[in-house]
Amino acid sequence: MWFNTGGWRGKKRVVQAGSRQHRQRQIIGWALFALVVVLIPFLIADTYSPTIFGNRYTVGLGNLSQAVGLMVAILGLNIATGYSGQLSLGHSFFVGSGAYLTAVLVNDFHWSYVATLGVVVPGLFLFGVLFGIPALRIQGLYLGLLTFAVAAVFPSIIRLEEVSERTGGSNGLLIESDLKPPTWAPLDKVTEWLHAIPGVGSRVPDGLTGRQEEAVYKYFLLVIVALVCFWLVRNILAGRVGRAMVAIRDNPLGAAANGVNLAAYKTLSFGISAAVGGVAGTMLAMHSGFVGPDEFGFSMAILLIVGLIVGGAGTLHGAVAGGLAIQFVPHWSSQTQTLPGTDVALEGPYGTAILGGLLIVIIFALPGGAAHGFRKIKSRLMPVAPRPPGG
Amino acid sequence: MVVVASLLGIFDVSLDKLSNGELWLAQFFRGLSDGATYASVALALVMIYKSTGFINFAQGSLALLGVYLVYVFSVEQGLPVAVAVLCAMVASAVVAMFVERVFIRPFPPDHVLPLVIVTLGLLLIIDSAVGIVWGFRTRSLPSMFPTGAPIEWGIAQLTWRTIGNLGTVFAVVGLLYLLLSRTKVGLAFRAVSSNLESARLVGIRVGPTLGFGWALAAAIGTLGGALVVPDLLLEPSIMLRVLIFSLAAAALGGLDSLVGAVIGGLVVGLARNLLVTFLDLSELALATAVAVILVVLLVRPTGLFGSTRVERV
Amino acid sequence: MSGPYLEVQGLKAAYGNIQVLHGVDFSVAEGQIAVILGANGAGKTTTLRALCAMVSTEGSIKLAGEELAGHRTADIVRRGVAHVPQGRGTFPDLSVEENLLAGAFVRTDAEVQGDVQQWFETFPVLGERRNQSAGSLSGGEQQMLAIARALMLRPSLLLLDEPSLGLAPMITRSLFEQLTAINADAGTTMLVVEQNASLALGVADVAYVLEAGEVALSGPADELAADDNVRRAYLGY
Repeated sequence: MWFNTGGWRGKKRVVQAGSRQHRQRQIIGWALFALVVVLIPFLIADTYSPTIFGNRYTVGLGNLSQAVGLMVAILGLNIATGYSGQLSLGHSFFVGSGAYLTAVLVNDFHWSYVATLGVVVPGLFLFGVLFGIPALRIQGLYLGLLTFAVAAVFPSIIRLEEVSERTGGSNGLLIESDLKPPTWAPLDKVTEWLHAIPGVGSRVPDGLTGRQEEAVYKYFLLVIVALVCFWLVRNILAGRVGRAMVAIRDNPLGAAANGVNLAAYKTLSFGISAAVGGVAGTMLAMHSGFVGPDEFGFSMAILLIVGLIVGGAGTLHGAVAGGLAIQFVPHWSSQTQTLPGTDVALEGPYGTAILGGLLIVIIFALPGGAAHGFRKIKSRLMPVAPRPPGG
Repeated sequence: MVVVASLLGIFDVSLDKLSNGELWLAQFFRGLSDGATYASVALALVMIYKSTGFINFAQGSLALLGVYLVYVFSVEQGLPVAVAVLCAMVASAVVAMFVERVFIRPFPPDHVLPLVIVTLGLLLIIDSAVGIVWGFRTRSLPSMFPTGAPIEWGIAQLTWRTIGNLGTVFAVVGLLYLLLSRTKVGLAFRAVSSNLESARLVGIRVGPTLGFGWALAAAIGTLGGALVVPDLLLEPSIMLRVLIFSLAAAALGGLDSLVGAVIGGLVVGLARNLLVTFLDLSELALATAVAVILVVLLVRPTGLFGSTRVERV
Repeated sequence: MSGPYLEVQGLKAAYGNIQVLHGVDFSVAEGQIAVILGANGAGKTTTLRALCAMVSTEGSIKLAGEELAGHRTADIVRRGVAHVPQGRGTFPDLSVEENLLAGAFVRTDAEVQGDVQQWFETFPVLGERRNQSAGSLSGGEQQMLAIARALMLRPSLLLLDEPSLGLAPMITRSLFEQLTAINADAGTTMLVVEQNASLALGVADVAYVLEAGEVALSGPADELAADDNVRRAYLGY
């Protein structure tokens, strides 16, 4: 293989885990990540329109914000399915519930978006636990069957006459609250500074319009909520609870024999999964200012599974990769007017078909998902040796 | 009595409705008719589950494709509907064999979970492909059976369509039974479902046998679609609801029982029509299916006629 | 015919990355009964599975001079190799009679029904339960059914994996008597993997001892039965 010649390999320095160099490298990595996360909104606040193979694409900041919401949704699904191994094909139900809860609280009770999390998180946690209790008796494929059906029912519950006054029924619900950036946030200023940087700065607009400022503000708000979610989930998973969940997934009998309370941890995992899903719902409502029943139907449920598998089940990076995939693959496809070499326009349903194909290809060729793939490439380019015992 | 009265109050049930015998009968007939259609798609699900141990979530999509083929053969090509259905059954069987060969057989048959995920991918691919080829415009599909009702009691009509749907399902289950119990390919199919390794060791070619199961299931699913769609309008998301009801039917019947699928289908069809009519829950029709699945899985996971399968903790 | 009926050379087999057989050589003459002995994990079962292409293999497997390696299980069965796998060689959801019919799946001659009847006479218990599902039989009855099912192929080579597993000593003894009778009547070549070494060596013509995926000892069965090392390791006296 052209990229893997012996001599090139030989020159590579192997860094030891926990060493100063390793820590430096980690810090540099995170700093780069933070820089990208902070700079991107200013770069594409004015929409980014590359032309690739004769097709003009438009990426708005909104697309990225939506992807951030989907990442958190997949993160939630990951807890129940990726980490504790319970096939949940109905995660959209939790996401939808969170979104509608937020929409109703904002509309009818005039709460602020972020404040609704105070109800969404405990509410959905409880809901998830309640759902997890019957799910204890239903395993594997059967749980998939049940949750698949549950996902399909969400839109009809929203359309029920008894609740449609609040939920808006089939028409959906426009949320009557705009997220205005607070006056102290220097978003406009930052843009001007960035614009002033010679060379690179020309890519940044020289100031933001009101709407752009709002989009940038929303993006940062969503990124912060997402970071908090990932950080909390990471801590939960790194501890006792996470180990118990993984033990249940990999060997339920062994876990039970070692004193892991299967019932408690399985319901707990559904509770956490639902709570995180609810937060994702709040984020998506926040992002679009609108909730509709069919958005949270079974197509979303399947897309979240696609995101989970394509990104990599059982990893946190996988949720990020998966969220980007299910947001941008359809987006890319819907804007591809002519597929290179053909005159096929990939509009409409092509995006979903491509995601379906991607799902099958990943399962076949890369069972660990994209996260696993990245890790493999990284370990080849920048190998890290484990710390010797006692060192 | 108080409880009953208050329950009736909650669900807004009028006693007029409940004492209307003709309405009962009318809904009974409609329930049988719907149930027969659910049963036929449930039969397809059971065929796959029996042989492979997983649920093919793309079964509804294969049926969707089949129904569009019925549309092409009957409305566009002008064939008689029954002939068109037959052609579409054959065509969808061929497609299913191809799908099985390309997307299913590369995976080890005893690892169920990846295969289930693959069928979800197939669902996305096939549904979108149908949307790409035929668009999202609704179309109407003629029925195989004459309109009209030979027997009527007031508003209750036993239509030709109901009779036809029921007759078709019973014929299908009878033929399937004969095929599985009296023919060599049927023996191979059952041997593969019973013990994969021993099936190989007696010289059965497992892959083609499973492919045959997929083909048969797709043909039956297409037939089921051709029964259900004339009551509705044809559009790409039509089979999703049917799939949910059929999953409920198959779960109720025990997932691996052909007879169970038929009885499960009829029960779900009846439950749906009676509940929706008398409790006035038109939006919750789909929820009745979910309730059936939930109750069955909690109370009796093997369904009414399913054989016990040992499950891990 | 010249040369042995079954000749295996340099047989290697692996499950994923785990190499189980590291080049096994052995041969069985036509009409003989050969037994493979060895500790748990030595690769006995894998050897039988390798002969039927049930595991990925390297090396040469010649049956009556024809190469089997590289063929698929279904084709190997069509060349007359029947295999009774360890433990559950039946179809539990099929009736006893259907199990036998499935055993003759690749046969196209008209004598299948006759053979079924003959097995019902040989094993009357099976005849009495012909319409019961195989899963409802006792362990011993299932083992009989599995062997009868394999013989329905009218095989030229019969592979038996631990036929005595889970059977009472009395039944095991009568089972081995049946096997020697079949070997004598039909001339079926047999390759038997067996834990019960003294019984197996009693009926076998040749024996091979596997250790860690290689043949450690081989020779005529009666010579091996007299070998001190074999006696200490496998016969327990």
